Amino acid sequence: MLAKLSKKFFPKSLWVYHCNSGACNGCDIEILNVLTPYYDVERFGIRLVGSPRHADVMLLSGSVTRPTLPLVRRAHAAIPAPKIVFGIGSCAVGGGCWFDTYNVTGGGAQAVPVDFYVPGCPPRPEAIIYGVALALGLVDKKAAPVELKQVEFPIDAYERSKAWEDRNVIYQLLKD
Amino acid sequence: MDIVYVFVNVAVFLLFAPLFQGVTRKITAKIQSRQGPPLLQPYFDLIKLLGKERMNSARNWAFSLAPLGAFAAVLTVAAMIPLGGKANFLTQRTDVISLIYMLVLGGVCVLLGALASRNTFALIGASREMATMIMIEPILAMTLILGAVKSGGLKLSSAMAPLGSAGYGIAAVLMLAVYLLALQAFVGRQPFDIAEAEVEILEGPFIEYSGAFYGLFKYAMMMKQMFYAFLFVSVFMPLPATGFGPADILIQLLGILVVFVLIAIIGATNPRFRIDQAVKFYAGLIAAALVAAVLAVKGF
Amino acid sequence: MWLMSKIKQVLLVLKPGVVTLKYPFEPRPAPKDFRGAPAWDHTKCVGCGGCADHCPARTIMVRDICQDIRVLLYDGSRCMYCGRCADVCPEDAIAMTEQFELATNDREDITQNLELFMLTCRRCGRCYDMEITNLIDRLDLKGFRYDSLQARTVLRRTSEQFEPRILRDTESFKRPQKLGE
Repeated sequence: MLAKLSKKFFPKSLWVYHCNSGACNGCDIEILNVLTPYYDVERFGIRLVGSPRHADVMLLSGSVTRPTLPLVRRAHAAIPAPKIVFGIGSCAVGGGCWFDTYNVTGGGAQAVPVDFYVPGCPPRPEAIIYGVALALGLVDKKAAPVELKQVEFPIDAYERSKAWEDRNVIYQLLKD
Repeated sequence: MDIVYVFVNVAVFLLFAPLFQGVTRKITAKIQSRQGPPLLQPYFDLIKLLGKERMNSARNWAFSLAPLGAFAAVLTVAAMIPLGGKANFLTQRTDVISLIYMLVLGGVCVLLGALASRNTFALIGASREMATMIMIEPILAMTLILGAVKSGGLKLSSAMAPLGSAGYGIAAVLMLAVYLLALQAFVGRQPFDIAEAEVEILEGPFIEYSGAFYGLFKYAMMMKQMFYAFLFVSVFMPLPATGFGPADILIQLLGILVVFVLIAIIGATNPRFRIDQAVKFYAGLIAAALVAAVLAVKGF
Repeated sequence: MWLMSKIKQVLLVLKPGVVTLKYPFEPRPAPKDFRGAPAWDHTKCVGCGGCADHCPARTIMVRDICQDIRVLLYDGSRCMYCGRCADVCPEDAIAMTEQFELATNDREDITQNLELFMLTCRRCGRCYDMEITNLIDRLDLKGFRYDSLQARTVLRRTSEQFEPRILRDTESFKRPQKLGE
């Protein structure tokens, strides 16, 4: 019973643990900006804590390098359930421009199961707050896959799967 | 009938302690020119913490029992005190010494939990908390001894409201100043929040605690803060007693609110002291408190 | 003395009031020349592949899937919003928009897919071929598997655990010898 009540109040008080897995600190500075009075994210009840054991949300920044891979996994395991993981910045989303270099494992999804992605290099503090508001359900998603075609052919050489067809896609055709 | 007041005490403390913490956070935010969390935010925090997964990361029994011990000690203190001037069932059977004992027991449970965590940061936090406790508890004892001397006995109900009848003397004024200077240390906020909740050692003694255990510790801390504010209001602010139970409690709660506003303002405008600076400060305060106690004994 | 300075500090700090922006509830536009997400214009793109060649994160793929159709796939998961694609495009078909609210829970949401109808050569009937066959240039084109549009896997040169195979490859690697040595 207490667990259900706690789940209901979970979106109102998220405690955040910031984990930098080899980032250039650009995204870290933007995360710090989000906690300043100008963009104040504490009005949503979010607080920065120093220990993963106190946290609910892990903000992962940086493409996960090889030395930090087991450490990020340990920090993620130290967070008590229920937990959410945010990948901040294009390094955490997909590895950035270093996705296939010798020391990088390729983004947050290689280390921990990431729930929300905030792309940007670095993402503006407004973009991070937008990601937080999206997770809390306050706004709707604005990014959607875009498909642009010049001519449409009924060719089965590129037969697409049904899942690809049913996505929420912005579809435009060249009109002439 | 007096037994009912025990439960009224406990209920008032349980219900209002997070509200005062919320007031503190809101005022801190306003001083920092930002909007701040909603006033009921600590309630949401506590409910969420109490429902999270419970990880006994140190795998020993002391780790699980320490938060329960701290919470129980503070609840006992809340049950014992004469809230609203009413001496309930427990107040008539306890005295000043057992009150001090219970408070120290709460602090020792925090230390026990920190030392059972098997974490170096917790050890550092525990040593700082120990130094703070050793230097601060004498001031609390001196305040209660002043109350006991002024009212002529160790009975809790009269020791905690001595100045209504005896009036203000030099000793009481000196003790008031000492208590105000030590208030931030009792409550554990800047400039003296050296032990807990500090970013230098990653939240100090509570670093390994998660979920429900941490929620209990937080709740115990909030109620302890409310108790210290209540002590100030009860000993040093002789408020008009209407004789009607709930109105008395309400007046004292308003007094506690004023004290919390003061705590928040001082907390938001001060940096944090180092442990050696803080210990020197407390030593000066202990000397002044001793002088005040001696003056009270001499009759001033 | 100390008390007066603290009181002055409190009064000083209360002057600006509350400066928090009400951001998600009120829109906040991006500054001038802000580089947000790139957007392709399918009316202007000719399928030259310049953007794909210049992307530092190799997140644009240009591929002929059949005789007349060339597909350009922008997978925004690695994009750094540097703007090189927009800079180098000869037809100005790429614009760096002001869109920065790109947060999503699925990486498929930030992709853009273009299908271009290519003209054929009048003599041989084939389109201009983008297929690069020499090994040196193929080394540059790591990043997308060529045979499947949906399975956009990334070719990895690293491993999480210690891999004896990679160690063997590195240890038995012979540097090219100079002539005459």
